[in-house]
Amino acid sequence: MGEPYPKLRATHLTRAFGRTPHTVHALGPLDLTVAPGEFVCVVGPSGCGKSTLLRIAAGLLRPSTGTLEIRTTSARPAAMIFQDYGIYDWKTVRANVRFGLDIQRVPRREANARADDWLARMGLSDFADAYPATLSGGMRQRVAIARALAVEPELLLMDEPFAALDAQLRTILQDELLDITQSLRTTTLFITHSLEEAIVLGDRVLVMSARPGRIIAEHRPPFPRPRTGDIRATPEFTALKSELWDLLRKEAVPA
Amino acid sequence: MTTLTKPPAESVLVRRPGPRELHPARTHRRRRALELSLALAVPLVLVLLWQLAATRAWIDDRVYPAPSTILADGWDRAAAGDLWPDVWATLKRVLAGYAAGTAAGYALGLLMGSLSLVRAALEPLLDALYVVPKLALLPIFLNMFGLGEGPQVALVAATVFFFVWISTMSAVMSIPAGHRDAGQVFGASRWQMFRHVLLPASLPAVLVGARIAAGVAVLVIVASEQIAATDGLGHLIFDSRALFQNDVMFVGIVCVAVLGVLFSELIRFAGRLLTPWAPRDRGRGQS
Repeated sequence: MGEPYPKLRATHLTRAFGRTPHTVHALGPLDLTVAPGEFVCVVGPSGCGKSTLLRIAAGLLRPSTGTLEIRTTSARPAAMIFQDYGIYDWKTVRANVRFGLDIQRVPRREANARADDWLARMGLSDFADAYPATLSGGMRQRVAIARALAVEPELLLMDEPFAALDAQLRTILQDELLDITQSLRTTTLFITHSLEEAIVLGDRVLVMSARPGRIIAEHRPPFPRPRTGDIRATPEFTALKSELWDLLRKEAVPA
Repeated sequence: MTTLTKPPAESVLVRRPGPRELHPARTHRRRRALELSLALAVPLVLVLLWQLAATRAWIDDRVYPAPSTILADGWDRAAAGDLWPDVWATLKRVLAGYAAGTAAGYALGLLMGSLSLVRAALEPLLDALYVVPKLALLPIFLNMFGLGEGPQVALVAATVFFFVWISTMSAVMSIPAGHRDAGQVFGASRWQMFRHVLLPASLPAVLVGARIAAGVAVLVIVASEQIAATDGLGHLIFDSRALFQNDVMFVGIVCVAVLGVLFSELIRFAGRLLTPWAPRDRGRGQS
């Protein structure tokens, strides 16, 4: 808001897919700023371009018009956590967590130490030498989180990371992520379609419209940091959730 | 569940662990032992049946020599050293051709799988060559390389190439985009992308192609040796039939079969070492 140097700034960002007769406008125009250390959650109906926004930020996709600027000191500021397919079946858990470090040519000894440190923080130390195929969905996603954070990214991008998990596990992982990100203060863009997730985790919750996605509302959950998952039981939480849901429902219903 | 008894007697349906749950190790061991004995017993019974038919003169043992005759003959020839030059000649051609064909097929498959321009340039041409029976190319290879090892090795290489090329290309093309994305976001270079993502992701499917190619390589070399070679197992088989040495012919056939099994098992074993994450392709109940 009053931040002079935003970490990330999107200006009139749009993205269309397909060639002229069959063009689909997936995103925007969209304007967005994210302050350093801010945790921004984006919610919106399916197909509203949330993931497109994230892929543009990750450098996997270019915008059709407009720009997205990331203020950074490194050439690869971002790490991304995917809903699926992110981690590799052919690497052990430790090698998966080390992957980003291997790519950056961090010496093996140091890379192993950092990977093991993150495995310990995620409670995965006993599975360091196992292959991901033997792990449960929750553990696989912990591996993905550890892999992204092991490179100490300036910008963390999360694309519905818990969507494939069951409800209990999702709550547990939300609390774990809340704990970690509050100690790291990494700038994060978090895509979800769970309002609860967005309110628990976010400094700011943005609601996107149906395709082409634009930001139609912005809320700051009134819970001071450090917060815990207990805020789910407060009346403010419920009130905010139903307020956001009223907005979102109008967009989610197919026009 | 009895319905005939007059007063519907209350019955308790109990779900209890079976032997598999109570003694998992023992059940698994027995299962494996049974599978192994079946795998051995079925061919053994068939051979015994053949032996019986030959000794009882149900079949003409000049045309279909008894297994015992084949075995004794093979043993004698091996002991006398008559068999090894042919086995060695065939083995050398298969290995040389296989290595060349696999390397070329993998390289081109990888290139065509990842670069659509290369694919556009070469796919129609290779598709056309793919359907040409490779044995029909033997005369061309004979013209190109003259007599000797050249045409034999080239023929095996050409055959193997197509199997490995097709399986590599389709494996690389079917790597989920998410796998590439994850590497790209971390900033993987082309070589890193290959080493960390494309190579391991495509390897299981490539190895299936390589194993099929191993069998076909043996098949092709034997056929081509029958046409244009002065040694090798294919030559031995054809030559001894011409001389009406049917027992020697069968020795050759058995050698080819053993060679083929050993070769494709070797590839499978190498595949297991190379892809420890992949599910085992033994194909039976693993759970």
